[in-house]
Amino acid sequence: MTVGLEHYLVVSALLFCLGLLGVIVRRNLLVIYMSLELMLNAANLALVAFSRFTNNLDGQVFVFFTITVAAAEVSVGLALIVALYRKRQTAHVEDLTTLKL
Amino acid sequence: MNLSLLSHELLVLALGLGLLLVDLWLPVPAKRKLGYVAAAGVGLILLYSLFCVQLPASSPVQYAFGQMYALDGLALFFKRFFLLAALIVLLMSVEFADRIASGIAEFYALMLFALSGMLFASSANDFALLFVSLELITVTFYVLTSFQRARVTSLEAGVKYLIIGALSTAFTVYGIALVYGISHTLNFGLLSGVAAQYGDNKIFLFGLALVLVGLGFKIAAFPFQIWAPDVYQGAPTPVTAFLAIGSKAAGFALLLRVLFIAVPDITARWSNLLIIISGVSILYGNLCAIPQRNLKRLLGYSSIAHAGYLLLGVAALSAAGRSAVLYYLSGYLFTVLSAFTVICLALRGVEGEDVGGLAGLHRRSPLLAATMTLAMASLAGIPPLAGFFGKFLLLKAVVEQGPTHPGYYCLTFTALAGVVISLYYYFGVVRAMYWPGEAADLSPIVVSKPIRLTLYGCIGGMLYLGLFPNGLLEAANQAVKLLR
Repeated sequence: MTVGLEHYLVVSALLFCLGLLGVIVRRNLLVIYMSLELMLNAANLALVAFSRFTNNLDGQVFVFFTITVAAAEVSVGLALIVALYRKRQTAHVEDLTTLKL
Repeated sequence: MNLSLLSHELLVLALGLGLLLVDLWLPVPAKRKLGYVAAAGVGLILLYSLFCVQLPASSPVQYAFGQMYALDGLALFFKRFFLLAALIVLLMSVEFADRIASGIAEFYALMLFALSGMLFASSANDFALLFVSLELITVTFYVLTSFQRARVTSLEAGVKYLIIGALSTAFTVYGIALVYGISHTLNFGLLSGVAAQYGDNKIFLFGLALVLVGLGFKIAAFPFQIWAPDVYQGAPTPVTAFLAIGSKAAGFALLLRVLFIAVPDITARWSNLLIIISGVSILYGNLCAIPQRNLKRLLGYSSIAHAGYLLLGVAALSAAGRSAVLYYLSGYLFTVLSAFTVICLALRGVEGEDVGGLAGLHRRSPLLAATMTLAMASLAGIPPLAGFFGKFLLLKAVVEQGPTHPGYYCLTFTALAGVVISLYYYFGVVRAMYWPGEAADLSPIVVSKPIRLTLYGCIGGMLYLGLFPNGLLEAANQAVKLLR
């Protein structure tokens, strides 16, 4: 059996759905953040697969941008979560209840 | 490649980096004044843009970076808009500076970096630039939102913005991947040529819808509005103001480009979707604002409603509707920035920014009370202010489309109902200023000279746009000429 475009796309869609499920179901901020990264990487996989199978390099260049931006986003995000943890001693979404009507 | 096309962005970036450098040699008490330097720099760039940058009549669109970056009338309109917004927000930040414990120079510099992201967004002609500029805005706003690290509310707002923002980023990138996979291009110009033939391709349409999710998050339209009230409430006031006007307008600039430059043939078939999103945003924002006591949270819900009003112009799918969007955004700039400037000054020591904290404002500072009254009247859409004429243009564009689709008439009624509901809570704020229940703190508020000038400018802008709409309307019509 040869591995074709559709195999990559199915894996990518599965990863994306797993990430989304993690964001919805898990209650710990760090785990939610990991799931978000999984979703981004699912998109990267789809981009690279499309790029490889259509002989068009735009997609691979775009992936460089997403990886760089995701790295910046992670550094800011982890710093924020750590700052919140220092203040509240918790990283659970149930405890983020200061802002309400 | 002609680097002078990027002059706005490069100048703003240089200004931001320069501020960070100067900060190293300045004594601590002088750092607050850096905000004036930043504001003056942005003001000079705005003057440069108004008087020195012109598009040659022979080539109305100029490209850079292999057609990724486009400088056209729409881009120039939005660039001037963002520069003006940043100028006012920076002046407001200087007033706010004493409430930020440390790193005030970084605060100003981050605002300038967010501004450069907005300037790039207004010129995006490729999904890569769309994504990078969107992230440049969003990631700087994560930091800005949580800048008051000593306040739990500020941190919590930052974390909420982070999680929902990152989620919308993931949707956007996946959407771009699907659009790219089907059409083999990321460029808006090339995409517009081939989009029509993919009109029935489910994967292509799904990808496009995911991109719209990301943009819907930026403009805070229903059902992606969930973050707005919390973040508006928790963020430092100047950041809230910049989010309310800069971030929202950047979202609209990108939305107009994607819908009317990249895929105009598909947009023409999406009128139902746009009508529903617009109508529900208006109702949701206005109804949820009614019970709010926190003034910033109230304006957060009102900004959801205003995203709905602005979407009226997009849903109309006509040139008149698109120029009405630009006109309404300009009026919204003066209105919302004057409201947040008043909040920044008047609710200095008030816990939770409660509406009751405005009690007796007309005796503490008549100027602030008058500005707030005018801002609320303009948000509600009372003539002769900018908000009235903007809403009139938007509704006119929608009614004109009525004969093609009955949904447009329903949308008009929804919008009018929204306006009536909004009168109640906007005038609740005015009532809290002039008719307080009990005597409150009546110490006079000192309004510094730059802020006084800013407030006069905002009042002037609100009245001018309401009374003499022709000049700006002509400019808006020119700006949207190249959109299909």
